[in-house]
Amino acid sequence: MIRTAAILLVAGLATGPAAAQMGNPAGMGADTRMAEPGKPAPHQTNNTDRLFAQLAAAGGLAEVDLGEMARDRADAQEVRDFAEMMVRDHGDANARLAELAEAAHIPLPQELDPDHQALRDRLEGTEGAAFDLAYIRAQIVEHQKTAQLLAWEVNAGQDGDIQRLAADLLPVVLGHLERAQALNGELSGAGVRILP
Amino acid sequence: MPGRRASTFACVAGLLLAGPAGADPLPPDTTYRPLPTMPLSRVRAIDEAQKPEVMTRQRTLLESRYDLADRPRDGAMMSGGTKPVQDGVRVKLPQGASWESLGALSPAEIRDQDLLPKGFLPLPHVKQATGGQVFPQFAIDEIKAQEQRDLTRFDVDFDLPDHLVSEFPPPIFLTTQPQLGDASRGELLTISNHYELFNGLLTPVQMEGLRILLTPFPQEEFNQTEDRKTVEQHRGVACLDCHSNFHGNAGFHQSPDIRPQANRFRLDTPSLRGMFNQQIHGSKRSLRSIEDFTEFEQHTAYFNGDHVSAARKGEHIPDRSHKVAFMAQMQNIIDFPPAPQLDPFGRLDPALASEQELAGEAIFLGKGRCADCHDPMTAFMDNQMHDLKLERFYKPGEVVNDMVTLPDGPIKTFTLRGIKDSPPYLHDGRLMTLADTVEFFNLVLGTGLTGDEKEDLLAYLLTL
Repeated sequence: MIRTAAILLVAGLATGPAAAQMGNPAGMGADTRMAEPGKPAPHQTNNTDRLFAQLAAAGGLAEVDLGEMARDRADAQEVRDFAEMMVRDHGDANARLAELAEAAHIPLPQELDPDHQALRDRLEGTEGAAFDLAYIRAQIVEHQKTAQLLAWEVNAGQDGDIQRLAADLLPVVLGHLERAQALNGELSGAGVRILP
Repeated sequence: MPGRRASTFACVAGLLLAGPAGADPLPPDTTYRPLPTMPLSRVRAIDEAQKPEVMTRQRTLLESRYDLADRPRDGAMMSGGTKPVQDGVRVKLPQGASWESLGALSPAEIRDQDLLPKGFLPLPHVKQATGGQVFPQFAIDEIKAQEQRDLTRFDVDFDLPDHLVSEFPPPIFLTTQPQLGDASRGELLTISNHYELFNGLLTPVQMEGLRILLTPFPQEEFNQTEDRKTVEQHRGVACLDCHSNFHGNAGFHQSPDIRPQANRFRLDTPSLRGMFNQQIHGSKRSLRSIEDFTEFEQHTAYFNGDHVSAARKGEHIPDRSHKVAFMAQMQNIIDFPPAPQLDPFGRLDPALASEQELAGEAIFLGKGRCADCHDPMTAFMDNQMHDLKLERFYKPGEVVNDMVTLPDGPIKTFTLRGIKDSPPYLHDGRLMTLADTVEFFNLVLGTGLTGDEKEDLLAYLLTL
C-alpha cells in the first residue's frame, strides 16, 4: 500500500515542469564539459550540486529516521500520520537523489550527521504530547531549511537532473511545511493561518 | 487540557532553549552573491550560446499565458499622445473555463482543480538565475545614440512586445510648472541633454539632483568587473535608465529583498510620477522617504539588497544632507499627467464625465472595492502594503523558468493616477492590460462584477 503510494507520488512528480534549466554560467565549474555549446553534458556538476546532494541526503536520511521514530512514539494520530508521510515521501526522494548522485559520482552520507543526531537525542528525552510538539516544531525548521536549499539548487546548480529533482520536490516540501505548521497550531493551541 | 498544553509548552520551551547551538547554517551563497568561477570570455561564450533558448523559453511561457497581439483600444491614447492603450483581456483562461465560471468557484476549488489562469501567477525574469536589469531595445538604442553607452546584455534581451509597454519617451509634467504641460520636448532626458532641456525650468538644486539621477554608476550587470553581462568594461547605469523621463520603460529587475535567488520575484519599473504624495517606497522594503530610497539604492548594487557586491563594483555614496536632498527635491516635482475630468478631491466632475465613466466610478468606490486601497483623496493609494493572499488560488512551489512560484506577501499599494500610461501591471508586470487587472481583482477579491460593470470600470480607469 505504502509502496503503491510512493510509486504514484513518483509518477506524479515526473510529470512536473521539465523545461531546461538556464543557470548563470558564471557559477559553473571551470572543468564543465558541454554536450553542446552552452549546455553542460549530463551529470556535469558544480559545487552547488555536490553540496546540495550531500545536505539534502543528510536531511532526507534524518527525515526517514525521525519519521520512523515518531510513527512509533507520537501520541496524536495526526502526528503519527504525518510521520508516516515523512517516511514515505522522503524515502522516495532519497532513492531518487541517490540514483542521480551515483550517476554524477557524488558520495552521499550514510548515517545521521551531528546536527540531526543532536536533534534525535533531544527528542528521545521527551514523550507523549511534549514529544509530539517537539517533533513537529523540529519538522517545521527542517522543512523551512530544505525549501531554501531546494530553491538554491534550482538556480545555482548545473546538473539539470538534480535541478529538476529539486524543482519537483519543492512543492512537496512546502506542502509538508504547511501541514507541520497546521499541526503545530493544533497541538499548541496557537492556531495558524489555514488556507480554506 | 489547557493545563496539559501549558506544561507541554514549558517542556518544549526548555528543549528549544537547550537547542541546536552550533548547527550548520545554509550555504553562504543562499544569501551572498558568489564571485564568478570562470573567466568572463568563457562565461560570455556560454551565455551567448544559451541566449536563443533562453529567449525562446520565455517567449513560449508568455504565449502560453497571454494573448500578446497588438490590439489598441478605440480612442484611448497614453498621455503623450504617441501610443495607443491596448484593449481587451490578455490573460488566457484554462480550457473550458470562463471568467463567470471561475467567479462562481471558491479559491480552494480553483486551487484544487488547478484553474487559476497562469497569467495571474508571478511572472519570471527572463533569466532568473542571473537576474539583473533588462532594458527594452528602444531604450537601449536611444541611450546609446545620445551617450554612446550600450546597455545591451550578452545573455538576455527584453521579453515583452513594444506595443504592450509604455510610450517612449514618456512626457514629463512638473508640479512647479503646470502651465507648461509636457516639458520633455519629446526627448529622452539623459546626461547629454538635460541641461539644454531644463535650464530655466529648474532651480540649481533641482538641476544638480537631476544630473546625479542621470549619471551612470558601475553596478549590477553593468560594471567593470568580470561580474557583468556586457562585452566591454561598462560605465554603468543611471537611475533614469529605468525610470525614463521619471516614468518608466517597462525595464525590469528582481526584488532586492528576497533570497535565495530562485525566490526573487520580477520587478516592473514603477513610475516616479506623483512622488510628492508617496510615503512608502519599494514594493517590499517600505522605505519611509524618497531620501532614504535614493540614498539606499546607491549602497546596495541597485536593487540587489547587497552592499557587499556594490562595494566591489564601485559604490557611490551621495552625501545625505546635500546630494541626496537634491535628488529627492528633483523627484518630488514630478507630477502626474493631467486628468481634466477629476475635481480637486480626485472625484469625477459630473459635468465633464460620461454616464459610463460615472458608473465606473461608482463601481470603483463601491462594489469593486478598488477605493478601499486606491483612495481618490490620497492620489489613489493608501500608503500601505497589503497581502492579496493569491496563494488561496494555487499550490505554491512550482518552478517556472527557474523561478519558484511563491506567495507574494504584502506589497505596496501603487497609485492609479495616470495608470493607462503604465503597462504592464502589478508589481511584476504579470498583467498586460487594464482589462486584465479588472479580471484579476474581480476574482481575487470575489467582487462578482458583471460584464457591463467591468466595462464601466475600464472606462473610468482611463480617466485617471
